Amino acid sequence: MNRMDELVKVEEVSRRFPLDHSFVSALSDASLSVSAGEFLAIAGPSGSGKSTLLNLIGCIDKPTTGRIQVDGVDTSTLSPNRMSALRREKIGFVFQTFNLIPVFTAAENVEFPLLVQGVSARERRQRVAAALEGVGLTDRANHRPDLLSGGERQRVAVARAIVHRPALVLADEPTANLDTRNATQLIDLMHDLNRRLGLTFIFSTHDQRLLEHTDRIVRLTDGQVVSDTLNEGGCHGQVPAAGV
Amino acid sequence: MGKFLLLAFRNIFRNRRRTIMTLFVVGGGVAGLLMAGGYFAFMTHGLRESTINNGLGHLQIFTADHFRRDEVRVLDTGIENWRQVAANVTSAQHVRGVAPRIDFYGMVSNGTKAAGFMGSAVDPDAEKSLGFVTRVVEGRDLDAKPAGEVEALVGAGLAKSMGVKVGDGLTVLAMTSDGALNGVDIQIVGIVNSGVAELDARYVRITLPAAQRLLQSDRVTNLVVGLDSTDNTDLAYTELIPRLQGLPQEMALKKWIDLATYYRQVNTMFNGIFLFMGVIVFFMVLMSSVNTLLMAMLERTREIGTMLAMGTPRIWVVALFMVEATLLGMMGAVAGVAAGNLLGALLNASGLHLPPPPGYTVPMPFMVLHVPAQMIGASLLVIVSLALASIIPAVRASRLQIAEALAHV
Repeated sequence: MNRMDELVKVEEVSRRFPLDHSFVSALSDASLSVSAGEFLAIAGPSGSGKSTLLNLIGCIDKPTTGRIQVDGVDTSTLSPNRMSALRREKIGFVFQTFNLIPVFTAAENVEFPLLVQGVSARERRQRVAAALEGVGLTDRANHRPDLLSGGERQRVAVARAIVHRPALVLADEPTANLDTRNATQLIDLMHDLNRRLGLTFIFSTHDQRLLEHTDRIVRLTDGQVVSDTLNEGGCHGQVPAAGV
Repeated sequence: MGKFLLLAFRNIFRNRRRTIMTLFVVGGGVAGLLMAGGYFAFMTHGLRESTINNGLGHLQIFTADHFRRDEVRVLDTGIENWRQVAANVTSAQHVRGVAPRIDFYGMVSNGTKAAGFMGSAVDPDAEKSLGFVTRVVEGRDLDAKPAGEVEALVGAGLAKSMGVKVGDGLTVLAMTSDGALNGVDIQIVGIVNSGVAELDARYVRITLPAAQRLLQSDRVTNLVVGLDSTDNTDLAYTELIPRLQGLPQEMALKKWIDLATYYRQVNTMFNGIFLFMGVIVFFMVLMSSVNTLLMAMLERTREIGTMLAMGTPRIWVVALFMVEATLLGMMGAVAGVAAGNLLGALLNASGLHLPPPPGYTVPMPFMVLHVPAQMIGASLLVIVSLALASIIPAVRASRLQIAEALAHV
């Protein structure tokens, strides 16, 4: 791996949570390196530490020990405000339960990260339109989340995650709440964005459908990385190409 | 900013039932304050005008000595050349007229029974020209130039205690300005009811010339100045001050508010009650809103976590909650002002009266005034209260641990 392409570097990271008078270890000495443009899955059963590792990479939690670098920045040295700025500029999030703002329309939800970044109204409109077109939801732009199907909501979430052109998209169990058809469409969509835009995707999942489409699989068990393999046989579906 | 405000505005209507309940509390508080404040304003305004029109006038002129020392003899601190003083004042802007007065006291007797009285001597024509109201409940008012005996009005309570009626006679005894005892027979031409029982039990009113004969003096106690409007009191005061300088006697000019002790007490009491009610409403809105906003914050924990995960500055989250609360307060204030004015208008149209307050004998109309300052004040009160109520939920929301918030169910 070329060090220049290294986007995420996890070095002997542990995360322990206090529980009563002791601690529970969610992650133990995990190490991982992710290059720009990768399409990587973190797999493992429930409680194996997948979400914890994603939270740490996404700078929404801090490791108990160890070090994480994102795009060359050591996140352990950042102040909360700098962490917030890093997330705002470099990272997009897709959640298992979509986590859209219910009082905003699909377009407004997608617009929100740009709003936070202070992007001009004109540019926001253009980028939101492109992002929604990219996920095939142009005609649903003015619908609120409660009027969208689960698959559509997750595609809005993906559009929201990529609209500000992050270096890294983190998706925590993105297909867990979707049926097979919507899950497959979402996987194809994300993979297309990965290849077409060079976006780096890191998923946590135990969904076999998603794993089959992933280039690289890091397996966790009881908070430890037990394997890190390339998935040579991954088959990728196709979605219509669109610019974002 | 526009989208941010839009988000705050839409968030208000997420839980409509809870929002409506909050609006009821906020609007009810504002409406209640306006009703109470409007009633107090009506009372104080009515009391102000009745105090002025019952004879206090807008301004009163005394000699400066009147306030420096007690009178050793009757009218020895009175105004000597009062006609000249009155002429100086009458030509001023906003002045409708000047009425001379003598305050005196003594004994009144019906031949078998005597009682102390408080006398007031007036120029009936001057009093009428200024619109001063004499509440004659029986008989008639004083004639400025009576043909025969000295005419008098007596209070209803005094007439009752002395056992006299209109047409009967009494003898009035008082000390003259020389210190001698003088007496004059009066004929009762009217019974007055001022509404204040204590005053009516001792009140005697005669004409100015009759009092000057009784007291053996040409002086008057004071000159009462009537203006075209109470609102012009300060203007007229400023204009009259130089006109009272350079006279043989040093003069003192008093505004009605300085002489209306009872009005000031009532006004202070109403202001105190209104302030107390405002404090109650403030804390009522504050406490109920803190709970409501905390519930809203808890319901939106995961959403706030998502916003924070996307890099939303924590201060934005604080601002979002505070803007929501402020908007809610503004809506409640608008609803409260509308409801308060509507209820006030309905009340005013109803013609309701309240029983006479202690010391009064006349029922009080139950009406409210629509006071813009109160509307603004009550609105600001609830808006600030809601904004303050949002601080705790807003700060809590902004301090959420993102990972925990995202896992919140």
